Parts: sequence; C-alpha cells; structure tokens
Amino acid sequence: MFRHNFWYSLKILFRSRALIFWTFAFPLILGTFFYMAFRDIEKNEKLDVIDIAIVDNEEFKNKQDLVATFDELSKGNNKLFNISYVSLEHASTMLQNNEISGYLLVTDSENKIIVKENGVKQTIFKYVLEEIDTTKKIVNDIVTNSTLEFTHYENIYQDAIKLYNESEANIEDISTTNLSYTMIEFYTLIAMTCLYGGILGMTAINKCLANMSNVGKRVAVSALSKFKIVLSSLFASYIVQLVGLFLLLIFTIFVLKVDYGPHIFEVILLSVAGSLAGLSLGLMLGAVFKTKENTKIGLVLSFTMLGCFLSGMMGITMKYMVDKNVPIVNKLNPANMITDGFYSLYYYDTFNRFYFNIASLLIFAFLMILAAFISLRREKYDSI
Amino acid sequence: MTVFKAFFKVLNKNKSPIILYTIILICFGAFNFQTNDKSISFVAAKPDVYIVNNDTEEGITENLVNYIKDNSNFIELDENELDDALFYRDVNYIVYIPKNYRSDFLNGKNPKLEVKSTTDAQASFEEMLLDRYLKVANTLQGIYQDEEELIREINEALETEVSVELDSKVDVTSLSKATFFYNFLSYSMLAGVIYVICLIISSFNSRNVRKRIIISSMNYQKHNRILLLSNLLFAFTLWLIYVIMSIILCGNVMFTNGGIIYLVNSLLFTIMSVTLALLISTIVNNKDAINGIVNVVALGSSFLCGAFVSVEYLPSFIIKIAHFLPSYWFINTNEIVKYLEVFNSDSLKPILINMGMLVLFSILFIVLNSVISKRKQIID
Repeated sequence: MFRHNFWYSLKILFRSRALIFWTFAFPLILGTFFYMAFRDIEKNEKLDVIDIAIVDNEEFKNKQDLVATFDELSKGNNKLFNISYVSLEHASTMLQNNEISGYLLVTDSENKIIVKENGVKQTIFKYVLEEIDTTKKIVNDIVTNSTLEFTHYENIYQDAIKLYNESEANIEDISTTNLSYTMIEFYTLIAMTCLYGGILGMTAINKCLANMSNVGKRVAVSALSKFKIVLSSLFASYIVQLVGLFLLLIFTIFVLKVDYGPHIFEVILLSVAGSLAGLSLGLMLGAVFKTKENTKIGLVLSFTMLGCFLSGMMGITMKYMVDKNVPIVNKLNPANMITDGFYSLYYYDTFNRFYFNIASLLIFAFLMILAAFISLRREKYDSI
Repeated sequence: MTVFKAFFKVLNKNKSPIILYTIILICFGAFNFQTNDKSISFVAAKPDVYIVNNDTEEGITENLVNYIKDNSNFIELDENELDDALFYRDVNYIVYIPKNYRSDFLNGKNPKLEVKSTTDAQASFEEMLLDRYLKVANTLQGIYQDEEELIREINEALETEVSVELDSKVDVTSLSKATFFYNFLSYSMLAGVIYVICLIISSFNSRNVRKRIIISSMNYQKHNRILLLSNLLFAFTLWLIYVIMSIILCGNVMFTNGGIIYLVNSLLFTIMSVTLALLISTIVNNKDAINGIVNVVALGSSFLCGAFVSVEYLPSFIIKIAHFLPSYWFINTNEIVKYLEVFNSDSLKPILINMGMLVLFSILFIVLNSVISKRKQIID
C-alpha cells in the first residue's frame, strides 16, 4: 500500500500545473531576473575612470606641476581620469549634461573645482588637487630642512620629488576574495524554493484529510494505516521537491554562475535539510489549521515571503540589520537558516556557523512534524 | 449599477494583494528615505572605516588614528562582527595597526599595516587617503627626529584646502527620493492593477456567469462600458492613493514643475497598466494562472527596466531589451526629471517622447485586445 500511494501521489503532484509552476519554474524565472539585474552592480561600484574637464586657459598652462600631474594621471592602463581640455562655457555645458563629474578652473588666486553633486568621484578629484599641494610642501620641506647630501645642487628639486615618490606605503590587503554580496540574493532564492516546497507537502496531506476533499473522506473510511498513507504522501512530495531544488541548483551553478564556495557536499546537505524544513512547515500548516485549501496555501506563501524578506531577498541590508539588531528573529527564521548556511559556506573558512544552521533547520523540522502529528492523530468528525 | 456593484464586490474579496503591494511600496519608500542630507555646499565623501588598534594610542599611532577618523566615517562595531560588516558593506575598509607600530615607525622600519577592503570606489578612495598619509609620514620621518615635531610637520603637509563649488540649482537629493518612489511604484501599480482586473474579469467570464449575463436584458455594450469604467475608476483610485503617499513621503518636491511631470507620467502609466491588464484578461481565463502571470510580468519588467536596481547599474544589453517594455519609458522620464533644471521645449522633448511611447503602448494593447477578443468570440 505504501508503494501504491507513493506512486499515485507522485503522479498527482507532477501533473498539477500550478504547483509545478510555483515550485519549479518560478524560482528559475526569478533567478534569471536576479542575474540580469544584479550581474553588473558590483562591477559598477568599483572605481571607474573619472570623466573630468579642465578649463584650458593661460593660467592653467602656466602651472607646470598641474599640467604634468593631470597628464600623468590620464595615461596608461591604470589611469584615473579621462580629461577634456575645453573652454569654460563648454565645461559648464558638459557638467550640466552629466558628461563629466566636475571641472577644474585655474585662476591667479586659486585652483577651483566645480561640481554638480556630492560623491566619491568628485571627492577624488579634490583629493588629487590636494595631493599636488602636499607634494609641493613636502618637497620644499625636504629642500630646506634635509640634512641629506644632494650631489648636484641644480637637481635638488628633482631629487626631492624622487625621494617623496620612492617612499612607499606598506599596506597589505588580507580580506578574502569571496566578497560578492549579490550572492545572498540567490541564496534567498534557494531558501524560497525550499519553503515553497511546503505547498507540495500540504497538497499531499490534504488528500488524506477527510475535511479537505472527497478523496480524503474515502481514505479516512478505508481500512488503511493512516501513518503509512501520510508517510508515503510526504515521501512523494519530498522527492518532487528535491527534483525541483536540484534543477534550480544546477541552473544557478552552470547558467547563472552562482558561487556556492568549494564545499559541494555541504551545499547538498543544506539543500536536503532546507527542503525538509519546508516540507514540515507545509505539513504543520496543513494539519493544524482547519481552513480552506487556498487559505492554507496563502499561509505558506506569506510565511515564506516574510522569511525571505527578513533574510535579504528584497534588499540585502535587511538581513544584516536583523542579524545585528534583533538576532533572535533570524535565528528562528527558517529562510534565514538556509540563506545564512550558504553564506557561511561561501564567506567563512570554518564550519561552526554552517553546522549551527543545519542543526537549527533539523530542530525546526522536528518541531513542525511533532505539532502536525499531535494534531493529525485520532481525528474524529461528527459531521463534515 | 448592478455591474458596478458586482465589480466592487469582487474587488472587496480580493483586496489583500492590493494592500500587500501597497505595503511593500511604503516599506521600500520609507526604508530608502532614512538618509536625509540636504546640502548646499560641497560635502566630501567619507568612506566607512573601522580601526583595530593593537598598539597603544599614543604619539604617532594616535596621529594616524586621528587622521583616518577625520577623513573617513568611523563606524562603531563589535570586533567579532567585523567580517559580516565588511561583507554587507556596513564598513568599506578595516585597518589593523600592529603592535609596536609607534616604535617601529619611529625607528624607520616602515611597519606593515594590514587592511580589509570591499574593493569598491569608497574603499579605493580610503586606500588613496591612507597611502598619502603613509608616504608623507615616511618621507618626513627621515628628516625630523623629534616625534612631536614630526607629527606637527606631517599634519601641516596634509593640511591643504582646495575650494569646491557646488553648481546646481535643483535639489537632487529630494528629487532622487521621488524618482526612487515613482520607479518602485511601477511595480506596485503594474502588479496590483493586472492582478485585480484579471481576477474580476475572469469572474465575469466564468462559464455560468457569462451565460447568465448574455441572456439578461442588459445591453452587452452597456455592460462592457460599465465594466471598463469601473476598471478605470479602480485604477484611478489606486493612482490617487499612491500620489498622496508620494506627497507625504517626498514633501514639497511634489509641488514643483518636476512633481507635475511625475504625476502626469504616472497617470499615463496607470492607464497603460489598465490596457495591458485587459489584454491579459482576454488571453488568460484560468484564475490559477493569473497569479503566475502577474508575478512574471510585473517582476520581469521591473527588474529589466530599472525599478528595483537603478538603470545605471544594468548591463547595456538588458537596457536594449527593456526598450520593448512600457516600464522603461516610464522610468526613463523619472530619471530625466531628477536632473532637470530648465523647463523649455528642448529639455522637455525627451520627456514628451517617453510619454508618447506610453500612449502608443496603450493603443497597441487596446488594438490587440479587440483583435483577440473578436477571434475568441467567433470560436465560442
């Protein structure tokens, strides 16, 4: 009987078009949207070549140090600026049309930068001018106060500039390379798919409940072990859920190039545990709440969306804010357990945080199943 | 009146998704509006940093710490959460000052500073700042032996002021907020309008109800007209609610010329949404399918056209695809208004073109709708 019911549950689930859309197709579509929208976002946050203009007047041409510095900074592969040398009116129009971040106007009294808005690019432009001032001061300092021996007096300035330029800042970057925060979006997507799988479990369990469907009534009066029926239905929906999830994993890894870190076994373990949590959530909501099928599905969907929202699906900062300020919420949130599990696999070298999440998911699943079984056993209906 | 009443009866039953989309809009609006820095003069960008100081904060070490704090935005963090903070960009740059930094530096050993960086523009800028300090400090260290004198000279060399003039007549910050709100509105509006109108029309089109309507004494033209008017009334009410919300959230900007453009633009978008919803309701009759279609259409056009992620961050081929979607033209107008300073025929031309595209899309959807419904009628 176990095999019979298992096989038919499997057939029913695979043939339900709406269910398959939400658990199989929708995550793939949403993942593709994420990929298209987010794929360049981090690249664009890197420091680009900055477009600026310089007013090409006599005063500027007379200041050799400015001319040389900006010439140096707009050459080569690591250039900082794209410079247009233009007239004042032209520079002003370019600024109004957002073609440049700002322009430099050199007058007899000062060097002035004109910008339209505040920002890093504008600040870097300012920084470069300050740097020129600093260099000048330092070189003067060296020339007047140094006890160093200068071999050729006429080259004293060149030597001083050389001395300053050769001094090196000793900085070493020790951050890990896995810093791509958009990955969190894809992890929440997996979390969403795992929890959406609860609808499958719920549909399967509704077929066994006398108050939900005619099939349920027939099952209830039949002389079959309810435990076997429920277990085989759940088993079938778990299989369907895992098929959908692994399709999504394969799609995200090979097509969308999502980085799950190097530990593939742990990724699978987390997916299996996450799906179990989703299944048990659907089972619990299906068994405990005695309402219409659509309301139950609404419950699973809203619980999932709320969980995903808190774990960063609609804005990655949300997960960080909740983790930092009200950690207990995300410690109890199954969507975050899954997201955080993937995050800790990707970003951290140690497994402590990962296994904490796995344990949380298993405990969550156990509690849900327990609640469901308490409410499912010895059901009696006076009338339906 | 019967049709009108029936319309609002069905609407009342399906109000929850509308409330949901509206709440999402408010949440995102409010979430994004927290930062409120209006500026008239230039304010330098300050990267967010954290310093882990393993040396005692004295002399040259203290000077380094002060320099970093002065030029950047020092974030208070729990030292156990530094890695998380870096990942989520709460901090752009973390500097680790080693033990004995002060004595090693004064002895000319040029001690190594370890850093963690998010490698974005902010972090690159912080690296430039740190680089400048260290170069200056190292150079001067060879000249001055006395620590106090050295510190004084370092700070003097770094103390330069370049004047920066902010040349803008528009309040870009407030306008950015309004643009963000209206861009996001494209999602809520599209999802809400399509969902509700499709559900209601499909209720009217369900087999038994339809049969009863056909044999009733009511003229079918009148019936359709009232149905269309009710749809428009619903969409218009939703638009009004969103506009009032935008006035509450964005304030005075909504009463400027730019604000009027936002209003007109969003009204045209609302009308376009209604025509699209009618088209979808003609094609799809299955209630179960509507939910899926709403999500794919609304999320799809919002992601591809820059409602969630600003257009400037989207890859260029996506933007090319987006030209085929009405949301693109709507969002494009909002983006133009953000920087619009002068209102004349030249500067308004691109906006009029965008609005024209929205009207064209509406006409296209109406024509398609009548062609398809004509065909369907014949099949019936």
